[in-house]
Amino acid sequence: MYFLLFFTLACLSTCYCRTENDEKAESMCGLLRQSLTSTSVSVEIDKKGFHRDVVTTVEFSPDGPSDLQALVVHKWPRGIYVDPYQLASLSEHTDWQVLLDSAIDLEVPAHKTVGLVAFVFPALHGRIPRLLKVTVPVHGRYHEPSFDGKKFTSIDLDPPELLLRTGKCQLSYLDPHTIVDAPCTADNSSICQWARIQHKQGQASFQLPVGDGLLVIPVCSATLLVTLVCCVALAKTVWKHQLFTH
Amino acid sequence: MEKLISSLTEKRVLFTASVAIRLALVAYGDYQDRTMAVKYTDIDYHVFTDAARFITKGESPYNRSTYRYTPLIAWLLTPNIYLNPMFGKLLFIICDVLSGLLMYRILCLRGLGSQAACRMCSLWLLNPLPIGVSSRGNAESILAALVLGTLLCMEGRRLVWAAMLYGLSVHMKIYPITYALPICLTLRTPDTGAGEEKERQTWRRLLGFIRSFLNQELLLFAGVAAGVFCGLTSFFYHMYGWEFLHETYLYHLTRRDIRHNFSPYFYMLYLTADSSWSLGLGLAAFLPQLILLLLVSWAFHLDLALCCFLHTAIFVSFNKVCTSQYFLWYLCLLPLVIPRLSLSPKQGMGLLALWFAGQGVWLGPAYFLEFEGYNTFLLIWLAGLLFLVINCFILIQIIAHYKPEQTAQRLKSD
Repeated sequence: MYFLLFFTLACLSTCYCRTENDEKAESMCGLLRQSLTSTSVSVEIDKKGFHRDVVTTVEFSPDGPSDLQALVVHKWPRGIYVDPYQLASLSEHTDWQVLLDSAIDLEVPAHKTVGLVAFVFPALHGRIPRLLKVTVPVHGRYHEPSFDGKKFTSIDLDPPELLLRTGKCQLSYLDPHTIVDAPCTADNSSICQWARIQHKQGQASFQLPVGDGLLVIPVCSATLLVTLVCCVALAKTVWKHQLFTH
Repeated sequence: MEKLISSLTEKRVLFTASVAIRLALVAYGDYQDRTMAVKYTDIDYHVFTDAARFITKGESPYNRSTYRYTPLIAWLLTPNIYLNPMFGKLLFIICDVLSGLLMYRILCLRGLGSQAACRMCSLWLLNPLPIGVSSRGNAESILAALVLGTLLCMEGRRLVWAAMLYGLSVHMKIYPITYALPICLTLRTPDTGAGEEKERQTWRRLLGFIRSFLNQELLLFAGVAAGVFCGLTSFFYHMYGWEFLHETYLYHLTRRDIRHNFSPYFYMLYLTADSSWSLGLGLAAFLPQLILLLLVSWAFHLDLALCCFLHTAIFVSFNKVCTSQYFLWYLCLLPLVIPRLSLSPKQGMGLLALWFAGQGVWLGPAYFLEFEGYNTFLLIWLAGLLFLVINCFILIQIIAHYKPEQTAQRLKSD
């Protein structure tokens, strides 16, 4: 009898605990759900020329869960690249880290390579800022010369995906369309489930100069002519002033 | 002013000041790297250090992307990891000052007095270009020291040492291979026949010419140099495999950098990079270099310092890729040539100003392309052609005003 009473009390208490945990989880997920709708991300490009800064701005909702983690996923076209060594030295002075999806060839022209995916992990330190700005330096690649007279090529950057997660929310409570798998941290040791926000603002783009393929014949002719003339002039002088022994 | 120059170029003062300036800049560079956004240290130094770090972990230095040098440099810089990251820079500035010392010794052997030799060396030791390059962490000064060491040993006829230093310098960078022909021509048995030479048959003359290369001195030099080069290559091939051969040698031989640089061929190669003309044009670009190097070897092999200077200046000016680091390859030999030039200081300064102006004309549009995003490709190309013309003009002036002291110069009648 005592055993029956004890067993009933144990069941009731676990039910109560589970309900309380469920309630806590639901409230955390509620906060996360709210963050997903009211947080927004935008991107803009700074500087000029072949060396640019991609500035990602995240506006967080004020009532997010306290242990919120954020991940910005950039999918960049093949016309630009990041220098992993530059990022490594920058990481000593900044509080964000970048994980790249593949090895980067720093010198190959754009048409001989593919785009890259960059996972940017800003450190939020348990306090959610109202506004977060992350500046990633990128570099333009040389592009194929144009054969239609255009002097520039356009590099278009889609707005990044902003992923959020919190330790206390089982993402199964959320709409399945918003769940994606991504690395948990910049050391890529494990994959976690993240929730994707809905608001993304606009595309950013910039121009890079390209060579003029229509000039290939005059450029080649003039180059070879000038080098030939210089070669002949030097050769004449060398031959005229050569050294002889007695 | 005259007194100031005299006191500055007194040997002890000169070398002490050279070391002090370089040390001060290394210290300043460290301060700038720690406090400012624009870094003083060159990116190459970080490449060397990262490669050295891989070696300390027992891995290949070629795991470091863009490490395109002999493993020897990464090995030499392992104290960067074990002791202090500054070690490499200190090594480079020591080699830089050592280059000045070797220059001084060569000039004295060529008949220059101590004071005059010091003045010539100050053109290197107090020159901001090599000072900047070695204090920023580039390894060019090691090559300069090796090449000057080879020339000093050749001048003093210490062939085994010369061959060892030569083999080592070719292992570290390919361009000294071009010195092989003038060195062979210097070491071959000189012709002893008189006017009867012209009467003999062509094939006999050719046979005699080839036989003149087969003497003890030349074979000794060739054997030792080849032994050092092949020994080092085999050793590193055994350690690091194909990647070592590719990154250290093949990459540089086949390099087609289409990004903007001083070379007159840059735009031509960029526009034709993927076309079928690419190979043919590459060969066409190689021919002027080859022809001039052969001519210069034959014409000036009696004066090895002048010959090597002209070789390298022509090689760099007509190369398919040319960056400002390459200038040091021939600048370290210029002080050896200047004492025998009959140019006035005013003319010399004029040529120098012209050389800098040529670079300035290129750097302007290059800056606007890279950092402001303007399409200045045509201007950069034209500036590259102009720079080639200026370099050729300067070389012509140097050749035309060179007065060798020990050998008679006879103008060839047309």
